[in-house]
Amino acid sequence: MNQYDVIVVGAGNGGLVAAALTAQAGYRTLLLEKHNIPGGCATSFVRGRFEFEPSLHELCSEGSREDQDSATKLFQSLGVNVPLLYEDTLFRVIVKGEDGYDVTLKAGMEPFLDSMEEAVPGCRESVKAFFDLIDPIDDAMNTMGDGVPNPVNLLRKHSDFIRIAGHSTEEVMRALNIPQKAQDLINTYWGYLGVPTDDLNALHYLSMTTAYIKGRPSMPYHRSHELSLALVKALQDNGGTVYYNREVTRFLYDGQDAVCGVIAGGEAFWAKKVISNVIPNNVFNRSDNRHISKRSRKLANARKLGMTFVTIYLGLDCSMEELGVNDYSVFIARDRNPRKQFDTRDKFGLYIVNCLNKALPDATPKGTCTLFFTIPIMPGDLPADLSPETYKAYKNDMAEKFIRDYEETMGISVMPHIEEISVATPVTFARYLSTPRGAIYGYANERWDNIIARSVTEAMDYDTPNLYFCGGHYIRGDGYPSGYMTGEMAAKAVIRDLKEGK
Amino acid sequence: MANKNKQLESLSMGGFVKSVAERLRAVGKGSDGPVPDLLSYPENRLAQQLHPHVQYLIVEDIIDHSPDMKSYILAPDLKRGGDQLAWFSAGQYLVLQIALDGKTISRPYSIASSPRDTKDGHYQITVKRVEGGIASGYILDHWTIGTPVTASAPLGDFTYERLRDAKTVIGIAGGSGITPFRAFARAIAQGDEDFKLILLYGSRTKKDAVFSDEIAALAESCDKIQIVNVLSASKAKDCEQGFITAKLIEKYAPKDEDYSVFLCGPQAMYRFVDKELATLSLRQKFVRHELFGEYFHPEQNDDYPQDGKAVYTLTVHIAGQTHTVSCAADTSMLRAMEAAGLNPPSDCRSGRCGWCHSQLLSGDVYVPESVDGRRMADKIYGYIHPCCTFPLSDCELDVPPMPKV
Ligand SMILES: Cc1cc2nc3c(=O)[nH]c(=O)nc-3n(C[C@H](O)[C@H](O)[C@H](O)COP(=O)(O)OP(=O)(O)OC[C@H]3O[C@@H](n4cnc5c(N)ncnc54)[C@H](O)[C@@H]3O)c2cc1C
Ligand SMILES: Cc1cc2nc3c(=O)[nH]c(=O)nc-3n(C[C@H](O)[C@H](O)[C@H](O)COP(=O)(O)OP(=O)(O)OC[C@H]3O[C@@H](n4cnc5c(N)ncnc54)[C@H](O)[C@@H]3O)c2cc1C
Ligand code: FES
Repeated sequence: MNQYDVIVVGAGNGGLVAAALTAQAGYRTLLLEKHNIPGGCATSFVRGRFEFEPSLHELCSEGSREDQDSATKLFQSLGVNVPLLYEDTLFRVIVKGEDGYDVTLKAGMEPFLDSMEEAVPGCRESVKAFFDLIDPIDDAMNTMGDGVPNPVNLLRKHSDFIRIAGHSTEEVMRALNIPQKAQDLINTYWGYLGVPTDDLNALHYLSMTTAYIKGRPSMPYHRSHELSLALVKALQDNGGTVYYNREVTRFLYDGQDAVCGVIAGGEAFWAKKVISNVIPNNVFNRSDNRHISKRSRKLANARKLGMTFVTIYLGLDCSMEELGVNDYSVFIARDRNPRKQFDTRDKFGLYIVNCLNKALPDATPKGTCTLFFTIPIMPGDLPADLSPETYKAYKNDMAEKFIRDYEETMGISVMPHIEEISVATPVTFARYLSTPRGAIYGYANERWDNIIARSVTEAMDYDTPNLYFCGGHYIRGDGYPSGYMTGEMAAKAVIRDLKEGK
Repeated sequence: MANKNKQLESLSMGGFVKSVAERLRAVGKGSDGPVPDLLSYPENRLAQQLHPHVQYLIVEDIIDHSPDMKSYILAPDLKRGGDQLAWFSAGQYLVLQIALDGKTISRPYSIASSPRDTKDGHYQITVKRVEGGIASGYILDHWTIGTPVTASAPLGDFTYERLRDAKTVIGIAGGSGITPFRAFARAIAQGDEDFKLILLYGSRTKKDAVFSDEIAALAESCDKIQIVNVLSASKAKDCEQGFITAKLIEKYAPKDEDYSVFLCGPQAMYRFVDKELATLSLRQKFVRHELFGEYFHPEQNDDYPQDGKAVYTLTVHIAGQTHTVSCAADTSMLRAMEAAGLNPPSDCRSGRCGWCHSQLLSGDVYVPESVDGRRMADKIYGYIHPCCTFPLSDCELDVPPMPKV
């Protein structure tokens, strides 16, 4: 019968982990996925002799201390063992123009601080002080555990945490007197979170960058499709089931407005608990409005959708050396300032180019290499008159513009080597992920909706009985680790509630 | 506990408390109306227009080229809710669902009309009878005006990409492989594609060269199009005689600039022309094939480990049910499942697109290397493309059902 303990909707990073964990805990678990393969963003695609990574630039080991790498621990507890390779450099950043710079930052805290000091003599102490803040953050987080923080306790014992959590990245950096250039260098990573650092919560940014710096950027050998298949295996090994090509088109409610099942592929499936890896908007617009609380609707309607990308995937018929590329990850900007980079995003404000062969020399056949361009844009940035007839030309024009700019910046020639090209836009993400406006980062981490505010009001915000959420749209923001960790949070909550008979 | 950082004291603690208050205020301002439907967003709408899950069509007209080749003009089937036809790139194909003997099988057919023609409300496909084939014969013998046809969105990568391909394309067509080139030629003439197409079209006789005169007429008024008939079994005025060889390609190719070669035709043609192309030492990026098509006779490969005469049993889990299917060693698992009426998903039937992606739960299989288009991790974790996978033992597999719309 189609009766389960737990139904998980969507096999993205969050859904895969959530389903594997509830199955492991012995609950009859069904994972329903709309696409014919798992992973959501975490997948791969083949063109000619190239297999492209669509999303992952780098996996940062979650948790700020090496001994506390919770994503790795989580994988281990599920028996998932996907070998990862690690990069020694964090990134190279090229800011063009008069007061521009070209700096390569190293991974690992000491090498990182050394490379910062070399780029901005005298900045070491203040930069170190900034990253040392991760300790009071960890302390506070540890004492909070999974529970809702007690405000009085927080204020008394964890004032540093409170100060960091209540300010933007740039405010905290200024308080520490970090030289401007050093600030700008560190803040280059804002592009991965979608909010410039004058608005981006300091705690959020610190956690992410520290993880990248200390844990070093990593990636699987066989694109993120490997991670997703490994998680499916964990689910199945624990007796869980995954059904593909089953889009959930309807969420079902009982007399108490509690979720009790879903309709997928025209068939009803029933469960005690439903975990949605799908953004709340898409749960609510597939539900009878009567069952959704006023607050839930207000919240969903008030929230701004987060950043998305135009991405260009190139397979080139020459090696990385022949091409003249020597970095895994290059950020290219016109201005040092993140806000200016954001505001001029349609004029090369900031974009990122990755060459996987630098990290993984045999990522593509001998004598070839691949480049992956990531261009941050916001929902609504696409031309208003974009139509099926003009769409391909738009993609090609974007690609040409950015490839040319990259060629000019690096002084190399890419265009004549293009053997395969694929361009993805929010329309592509809308097609494959079904997110509103092709958003990939869930909701914007703007000030009122940053991860701190989200965590504090979590219980109030997610008020539909028997319905749990996980994924990039949830309280921890976007990213692979956030997907995995929120999957774990949802599974834990479900297991706890099932045990308590709630 | 960590030491407090003195410098941080310039930052108020109020920000934290305030951010929560700010949140509550912001939520309070949100509308309590229903959350908007996905299709209210332009990005989602465009995705839907470009890639509809299904297109309900109807045969509006039929053009007889010969008893063994007909064109079908397909228009939206208003009765079944079909409306706009999805726009596409010249060179793409549709996968048609063909119901016969109570089973559904699917086959890819290139769109022979141009993208612009969708504005006139139709696609054209052209079907050539294949000796011993199931679908082609059925279509030619049974489809009439008014026959409903269920099709996929336009699919495939056999398209012209201006940032990748040379400005001149030598098209090499054989048999029904002319169809995408008709689309290319029309799209060029209509201004939707911009490259020079020099088409070498191989046929037995001029009479067999369907669309040749039509493309020649387009070439009359558009200097970006040129067509050369290459006849293998007869002579005719202004036609080349023989097969499409390296020498012939060189004769028509631009002399001192790069050119791309696009090939579409029967597998025998690929085998012959690929050998010829090898002597020209073109860069791989300049040689592009349409999909190979279905793979037959795996047992003829050197690395095939058995005699290919066995018949195996497939245990197939699909749509929550389990079926037992018999599959001859030289038959693809996809074909065996279709023959058993399971309607498994397939698009390219050439190992490339991944739409038939399935999990092999147990058993040994043979996948010809030349058509193994799987992702690397699929091989580690035991996933297959049944359209080009042949059993070497009894097998158990988990197959996603066709999505219901
Ligand atoms: C181009 C790009 C680059 C990125 N780079 C990085 C990076 O370098 N590092 C990093 O950490 N993160 C990166 N990210 C972000 C990261 O990929 C995402 O934050 C993360 O994968 C989101 O996971 P998720 O759990 O929210 O699931 P998603 O990936 O959003 O998956 C949701 C799943 O639900 C399915 N689904 C949707 N609707 C339904 C329905 N109605 N019924 C059933 N199933 C449904 C979808 O098909 C999908 O499989 C990148 C993302 C993109 C697109
Ligand atoms: C991208 C693409 C575009 C295409 N476009 C067109 C087009 O525009 N027009 C067109 O006419 N066709 C086109 N085709 C071909 C089309 O999809 C069908 O393959 C064709 O119509 C034959 O289908 P069928 O069902 O009649 O033959 P099938 O039943 O598929 O049989 C094909 C051949 O294989 C033989 N065969 C079948 N089973 C076996 C077996 N077990 N062992 C050995 N041999 C076997 C049959 O005898 C027959 O000769 C295209 C194919 C692709 C991949
Ligand atoms: S149908 Fe395309 S890979 Fe099998």
